This record gives sequence, structure tokens and C-alpha cells, in this order.
Amino acid sequence: MKYMTIKHLYKKIKIPGIAYGIITMFLIFGLLTSWKNITLANLMLIARSSSVLLLASIGMTMVILVSQVDISIGGVMSLAGVITASCLGNDINIIISILIGLLSGVVFGLFNGIMIAIYNFDYWISTFATMGIASGIALVISDGATVPILDDTFNWIGNGKIGNVYTMIYIAIIAVVIIAIILKKTRFGYNIYSIGGSEQSALFSGINVVGNRVLVYVCSGFFSAMAGVMLAAIGSSANPIGGINYSFDAMAAVIIGGTGFNGGKGGIFGTIIGVFMLRVLANGLGIMGIPATWQRAIIGFVIVSVLVIDALNEKQKRTKSKRRVYIDE
Amino acid sequence: MDTDIVLLKATGISKHFDGVRALNKAQLTVKHGEVNVLLGENGAGKSTLVKIISGVYSKDQGEIYIDGKLVNFHNVRDAQREGISIIHQELNLLQERTIAQNIFVGREPILRSGFIDHKKMIQESNKLLKNLGLDLDPNILVKDLSIAQQQMVEVAKALSFNLKLLIMDEPTSSLTRKEIELLFGMISSLKKEGVGIIYISHRMDEIRRVGDRLTIMRDGEYVDCMDAKTSDMDDVVSKMVGRKIENFYHRNYNVPGEVILKTENLCGLCFRNINISVSKGEIVSLSGLAGSGRTEIAKAIFGCDPIIKGKYYIDKQVVIRTTPTKSVKKGIAFLPEDRKKEGLLLPMSIKENICSASLRNLFPNGLLNKKVELKEAERYRKEMKIATTNVNKVVGKLSGGNQQKVVVSKWLLTNAKFFIFDEPTRGIDIGAKAEIYKLLDRLASDGAAILMISSDINEIVGLSDRVYVISDGEMVKEIGRKDLTQETIIHYAVSGGDSE
Repeated sequence: MKYMTIKHLYKKIKIPGIAYGIITMFLIFGLLTSWKNITLANLMLIARSSSVLLLASIGMTMVILVSQVDISIGGVMSLAGVITASCLGNDINIIISILIGLLSGVVFGLFNGIMIAIYNFDYWISTFATMGIASGIALVISDGATVPILDDTFNWIGNGKIGNVYTMIYIAIIAVVIIAIILKKTRFGYNIYSIGGSEQSALFSGINVVGNRVLVYVCSGFFSAMAGVMLAAIGSSANPIGGINYSFDAMAAVIIGGTGFNGGKGGIFGTIIGVFMLRVLANGLGIMGIPATWQRAIIGFVIVSVLVIDALNEKQKRTKSKRRVYIDE
Repeated sequence: MDTDIVLLKATGISKHFDGVRALNKAQLTVKHGEVNVLLGENGAGKSTLVKIISGVYSKDQGEIYIDGKLVNFHNVRDAQREGISIIHQELNLLQERTIAQNIFVGREPILRSGFIDHKKMIQESNKLLKNLGLDLDPNILVKDLSIAQQQMVEVAKALSFNLKLLIMDEPTSSLTRKEIELLFGMISSLKKEGVGIIYISHRMDEIRRVGDRLTIMRDGEYVDCMDAKTSDMDDVVSKMVGRKIENFYHRNYNVPGEVILKTENLCGLCFRNINISVSKGEIVSLSGLAGSGRTEIAKAIFGCDPIIKGKYYIDKQVVIRTTPTKSVKKGIAFLPEDRKKEGLLLPMSIKENICSASLRNLFPNGLLNKKVELKEAERYRKEMKIATTNVNKVVGKLSGGNQQKVVVSKWLLTNAKFFIFDEPTRGIDIGAKAEIYKLLDRLASDGAAILMISSDINEIVGLSDRVYVISDGEMVKEIGRKDLTQETIIHYAVSGGDSE
């Protein structure tokens, strides 16, 4: 039997060292400057905000695994939140309201998938366009204003607790476990890795590349809609531009988590860690008294450091393998 | 086994791409347990034909029979079900996945619960690898394997279907001699099991060794099919090109002029203590097995790879910390082995490619002058006899030989006097090869110094003034023209000069 050591885990997930460094630094400074702010309640809040980002990042992970990108995530989140809130406002049954919200995500995912996989449009431009459409419709439906939600059951999803833990954290955990199983144990998951690794190999191996790609975008739309609905539940209201930052954050989380843009490499566990890092980072900045306006720039720097470390690693590996040829053969 | 019914019979196969005819009533038969070598120049339709047989492309017309049964493939999966597998020239493995995952890609065994059966995947992979005599852990990532091992994984993948017909497209082009032997051993054991093989190769020496029959194609049409062991090679070649080729290797040997390149104990990533020199009017070759460090030496001289120790001189001037930009200014031309990726800007026109390395000289003020561009391109089209009507055409549409001429033109325009040719005829058909050989000879006669790297020993023996044999990153022997034979080169390349 093989057992998992921390080294194993590290190798599997591949978090760049410098990101660790930055996070640890912030944690230490945060702890030193304000002991008292570290409470269970505070940690719970971090976990809750992480679970929204985590849901949004699930779809992004899958799309980046097939070597593409979905930047419509933020727009779809806003739209799904607004749609669900409007349905609830019109006294539609809560479950149906949520399903309609999720359906909007599926529709947008399907639209993305059809444009990109079937008609071969560029994925950056296609999802850029759908981002505009989705967030535009969200503004139209809500008339540009935040839609309040009065349904207590719905708001319980965002603010209620089971045991000592927010309801929504359970939902995120369940979603992640399902996706982890799909990626590791099903043909669909394997096909995602194969298509991302080499589209041509996948084609020559008889894999239905088009169909699987469409499905990936549908998943991405679905999970972003889910994140949007959750976001509305937390705030007890749906903000028509509430999801706007999430495209950036989700992409950042996936990249920091070690899923590369070359595709076929990485997975959901890295993304979980990437999400927590981002959220802890944000919180640490707050505790340290650094204004929230700095967050994006700092996240950007973390991503650059990830790229640099990755490039250096690759270079070292290449040099080593060349040396090996020279020594061994 | 029924010997009357052939394994594969494909007749009257036609295929058009965008109105251009790629295949016209092509035909091919393969018997059980035989190797049929498919021969033809580039563009003769070999790849198209095998891709139709393996389900990658659909055919416009014609019939394919497997064991006498009419089949109609819509995709790769259909062909795989009939036991047809293809190993493409560029290997199609997923670098970031394990051997087992690659073998079963797209058709992983599934448990009753709907999840993938990892255990079975590993067991089956182990069995397949062992059958091929490979001692590899199926959990290893493919990117950690050598090219030859990766090819074996492709074979294992093919075997995992009920393999009846295996198609190999230039399988030996990136293998070392030892690895080729391994591959041939595997081919003969497959034959014993009744598997039919279609083997595409440009290397004439391989045809007799592995082939039972050979099928010749030209311009998308079937030309002839004959016994591989008894056929006359000159006859085969003339059938492939449709004309006789005379003076395949043609050289006017010149008296070498002044020394252009001289290295002193040059050490780099994969080589050490290299002392070589090249003079004007000479063709000097670096020969050795793949992976011996040949290409790296050339790349280091051009400035793509680092130099760790030692120095070298261009025109008697010592070169320190060079880059490709500086090398071009010194008059060095590097013609890489991968023409399409490293040598040309494929989607751009012939004239733009020809001028691409000399923009600074042609347009010193930074503004392009279309007239000058056109004039220079026209000059080289005539001089190099590039077969095209219009230099505005996209370079990617030219044949391999003409593309190589464009690369040479590009460097001639920079006033290069020292040419490094890395595999000048790789992937080029025989007719074009002869033209490239003539071109090399002419360059040398015009006073250029040429350093050639090649895996084709015939080519090295036929063209070189001198040969440096590289083995394990060291220069083991310098052979002059008088002593130049295939046997001596191979002897030193394999033994590393130890037996002296």
C-alpha cells in the first residue's frame, strides 16, 4: 500500500513556493498585529466567502483543464442571482426560483459551448461577449438596482448554520467532492485531461472532443450560476454587478492552484488551496490595515511569481534532462 | 488461417480536399502476417490513404474490405473496433498522463458502478508492456520516457485493441540505431501472430529489411506493387518519381579556402572538448547517433544553447557570449531540422520569408519598401529555381524541397558565408533531395563553408569533404574523403573510438 506523505501531497498539488511564502508572511504579520481578530467566527466568514469563490472556480478549473478559458463566469453569476431574486420577489416557489437561476447558467454555458466547440469561435472572444450579454441582461432585469430578497428559507442558505458551520459550506464541499470524483474516476473526467493534453491525440483516440467541450462549458455555466445564487443568499439580495470580480478571482485561484494553461495538468485540489489562499490573503491584508484596494495588485503579483517559478522549474528540468542524456547514454 | 482472403483490400479510393485531388482510385492490399511498405514522394497520397484506412478521414469513393467484409468507417473508433491502429509520425501521447492512462485513453475500462477500473487498467497495461519486453511501470508519466519508449507505448496501445492491422508512419525517423533494432524485432513478432503491417518510410535501407512487399504511389495514384526482397531499387525509385534520377550525389570537390570556423575544446550542455574546423568551399559533416550531441554543437555555435567552456573562432576572430542576432551579423546561417516550426513563417508569403532575416540590411530606415522586397524575392526565385509562379504565395503550400530552397534564399540574402544545415533533407522526397544535394554542392563551389548534420549516412558519405564522428558528446574521429565509408562512420559512432 502506498501512503500519502506531505511530500506526496505537495508533489501532487504543486503550489509554487513563493505563494506559500507570501501567505505565511501575511498570516504571521496578521497574527502579530491583531491577535484578537482571529476568532472562530472570523474564520467561518472566511470559509463562507471562500465557498462562493470555490463554486465559481470549479467550472473555471474544468475549462482551463481543456486548455481554454471562460471569462463569462462573473456575468453569469450576477445574472443567476438577479433572476433567482426576481423570481422570489414574484412569489415563485423557492426551489423553482433556484432552478430557474441555475438554468440560466446552463443556457449560457451551452451557448458558450456551441460557439466554441462546434463553431470554433475563439474562446476568449466568445466568453468575453457572453460576459457582456449576461451582465447586461442582469442590469436590465434588475433595472440597475439591487434586488432585495425577503424569503427567509432562501436567506438561511446563506446565513443559517448547521452545527456551527454555515449551510453553504456544506454545499460547496459536496459540489467539490462530486467534481473530484468526476475528474478522477469517470470517463468524462479522463476525457477532460486528454483533450487538454492534446486535442489531436484525443481526436485520434476516438474521443468526442466537441461533445465533451460543450459539456465542460455547461458545467462551468452551471457552477457559476450556483455561485451567483449563493452570493445572493449571503447578502439577502442580488446585486446586478455582484459577480463582476469573480472571473478574475476564479482564474487567479485556478492558476495559483497549479492548473496550467497548457492544459491536461492540475485538478480541483489545487483550486481549493488557491481559493483559500486568495481569501486568507484578502483577510490578512484587512487585518494588517492594508486597504482593500491593494488586493488585486497583490494577487496579480502572486500570479506573476507563480509564472516565474514555473518557468524556472521547467528550465531547470530541461537543463537537467539534457545533462542526463550526456551522462547516462 | 485462411490465406485466400486478404486482411485488407482497399480499392478505388478517391479523396478531394477543397477541390484538390489527393487520391485518385488508389488501391492497397495487405495479407495476414506481412509488411507492405508504402512508398512514394511527399504529396503522393500515402498519409491520406492510411488516414482513410484508419478512419481519420472519410473517403469520397471506393471500398475497403477487412477479411473480405465490406466496412465503412465514420471515425477512428470504428476502425479501432475492426482492429486497425495507426501510429502517427508525430507521436500522439498525452505527456502529462501515465502510460496506463495513455494506453486506454478514450475507452477506459469501467466498473459496474460507472467509475473507472484503475486496477484493471494497470494490470492490462502491465501485461501489454511485458509482451513487448518492456520493463516499465504503467504509472510513469509519459513525459519522463524517451522517444523510443514512447513509441513502444504507442505500440502497446495499438496491441490493446484486437490488433489485426498496424499502420506505422515513418516510425524510425527519430529513433537511434539500437532502438530501431528493437522496433524491427517487435515487427517480426507481430508478423508471426498474423498481424498485417503497413509501413511508410523514406529510408531505402529499411525497406528490404522489414518489407515483404512494397506498394508504390505517385500523385495520389497506385503505380505498382512488387516483392520487396527482390525488387531493383533503381527501378523502384524511378517508379516513385516517374523519371530516372542520375547523379544522386553530385559533388565538385574544391580546394578548401581559408578557415571560417574553428573551435577549441568547446564544451556545452551535451558535448565536451569539441575541436573542429570548417573552411571555405568545404562540406563538413557531423555524424553520430541521435542524441550524441550533434545538433547541440551547432546550436551552441549559433548562440541558441550555452557554451560552458572553451572558445571558437569565426573568421579567425574569437567569439564570446554570442546570440543568434550577433551570429547572423557575422554571416552564420542556421537551417534547423524542423523547417516548418523553426525555419519558416508558414502562413506568410515566399517573399516575406526570403526577406525576413535581412530586414535591417534591406530597409535601414525601418520602413518597408515593397518594390525592393519583390525584387530580391524574384532574384532568388530564379537563382534557386523555386518552383512557384508567384512569390506572393504562402510558403506553407510549397513542397518540402521548395521550402528548403526558400530557407536557403533567406540566408543567402543575409550574405551568409557559413551555413549550418541540420538534417537538410529530413521529410523531403527523393526528387527534391537530389535538388537539395545539387544546391549544397553549388553553395560550396561558390565559396560558402558548410557544416552539415545528418542521420542519413548515405548522404554524409556522398557529399562530405570531411566527417567528424560524434559519440556521447565527444568528437571521436575525423575521417577524410579517402577513407569515407558507411562502415567506418558507424563503427566509430557506435564504439565511440574505444576499439582503436
